[in-house]
Amino acid sequence: MKLKKYLTLTRAGMIESLQFRLGTVVVVVGNLIYLTVVYFLWRSIYDSAGTDVVNGMTFSDTLIYLVLATALFNFMEMYAVWEIGRKIQSGAIVLDLLKPMDYRRYLFWSYSGSFVMNFFTTFLPTFIIVAVVTKGAVPMGINLLYFVISVVMAIIINYSIDFFVGTICLFTESIWGINIMKQVIVLLLSGATVPIAFFPEPLKTIVMYLPFQSIYNAPLTILLDGSPAPGDLFMILGTQLFWCIVTTVISRLFWKVSLRQITVNGG
Amino acid sequence: MQRKSLRFYLRIYRKILVQDLKSKMSYRADFIISTIGMIFTNIAGFVSFWILFRSFPSINGWTYHEILFLYGFSLVSLTPVQCLFDNNWSLRMYVYSGDFIKYCFRPINLFFYYQSEVFDIKGLGQLAFGLGTIAYSWGKIGLDLTPLMILKMIVFLITASLVMIALQNAAAASCFWIQNSFYLLDLVVRFKDYAKYPVTIFSPVFKFIFTFIMPIAFIAYYPSLVILRPDEVPLLSWLSPLIGCLFFILSYKIWMLGASKYDGTGS
Repeated sequence: MKLKKYLTLTRAGMIESLQFRLGTVVVVVGNLIYLTVVYFLWRSIYDSAGTDVVNGMTFSDTLIYLVLATALFNFMEMYAVWEIGRKIQSGAIVLDLLKPMDYRRYLFWSYSGSFVMNFFTTFLPTFIIVAVVTKGAVPMGINLLYFVISVVMAIIINYSIDFFVGTICLFTESIWGINIMKQVIVLLLSGATVPIAFFPEPLKTIVMYLPFQSIYNAPLTILLDGSPAPGDLFMILGTQLFWCIVTTVISRLFWKVSLRQITVNGG
Repeated sequence: MQRKSLRFYLRIYRKILVQDLKSKMSYRADFIISTIGMIFTNIAGFVSFWILFRSFPSINGWTYHEILFLYGFSLVSLTPVQCLFDNNWSLRMYVYSGDFIKYCFRPINLFFYYQSEVFDIKGLGQLAFGLGTIAYSWGKIGLDLTPLMILKMIVFLITASLVMIALQNAAAASCFWIQNSFYLLDLVVRFKDYAKYPVTIFSPVFKFIFTFIMPIAFIAYYPSLVILRPDEVPLLSWLSPLIGCLFFILSYKIWMLGASKYDGTGS
């Protein structure tokens, strides 16, 4: 019974995102253009390098990594910071707080509908195109299963970070600045702009100790490795699980503490 | 409506600007955070460049410093659209809510009045960063520093920025016709990220597309060739000021056409 009320939110979200078909079309077109830019950029980078393998990654590896990172971004990014920030500025957040459901959970589940829709409209097509374009460079095996598990954890980590940053808006009343900072940090340090394999040494080690690489780097590394060593796999998934718990707990606590001291416009 | 002189408009602009800055200053924290966010974005762009060029010394015959020059050029030429035309982002909200009607009743140029209402100061950080990047790479490449060069630079920077302004105007104006114009605007703005790459990396088809259909190559590549490779300047580079003006006028006409069709929400 408990799950049912959450799934209702999922369904509502799915119906809501079906309303914005034009939006989906534009997102798909935008991704196709981005895909071409990334393709040609890295093609010419690899051509200039003269070798096939750079930092342990071939051209198709890099392409798959970056394109799927973008696809993951479109699929996971829920602009929760904007949602929370706007609600705080307008004061409408009061209505959500009065709902008989934990706000953090409510928001997550109302986004879950668009997760499902985005998965089918953007992620899956991109995945198929990439698999075809690179002529089977994506290993299709048990790694797909691990990939799905990893993505689920990535979503949770991403949401927790978003929610944490959204909570900061309670204090600053600045949305744009906070959001752009978060986005820039996450995209750069998670390997979504340049694969982490290319990072120079001290930076690489530091980045691996941060939670951001669990969002994009971890699932993509798992996906690209057709026959992972059990130790490596355990290490990656374990790290993700660790960050899942830590970020969830922190964002939860921060929200609880902050809620006590806010003053809401028109509340 | 009788035509007002340029001086009249400049005076009005100054007055509106001061009011806008005053209201911005009352949200000081937001201003500071936004500025930091902007600096973050620029630093992240720079860092990903730096990481890339550690693994690859040159891309398609373009050295690190030449690409850096392109990057700086694109940053500077994107500043006007950031600073002066930021209100385009709110256009769809005004149109949707019906508040847009207030602009229609002023005895001055509608487009001018609407755009002048918001001045985005945080764009100035980007300007400084871009100028610094240009100066640094200018010295490293060993370009001459003559008054003629500087004049060329200024002329081509201004006209390059007209292209981006035009693209954004047209995308924003689409909200007069379609409901969900945010995606279109977002898509166009994402184009600007590709402006920093030399268009030669693309295959002929995409070179054509990025030159004539989505003219992002005019934001940095073609204009900066005049400075970077003075011996082999293609005709398109010399034409870019003309193209910039043309696009701007065209987008202005589209914007005004949309506004003239606007008949409010009836409330």
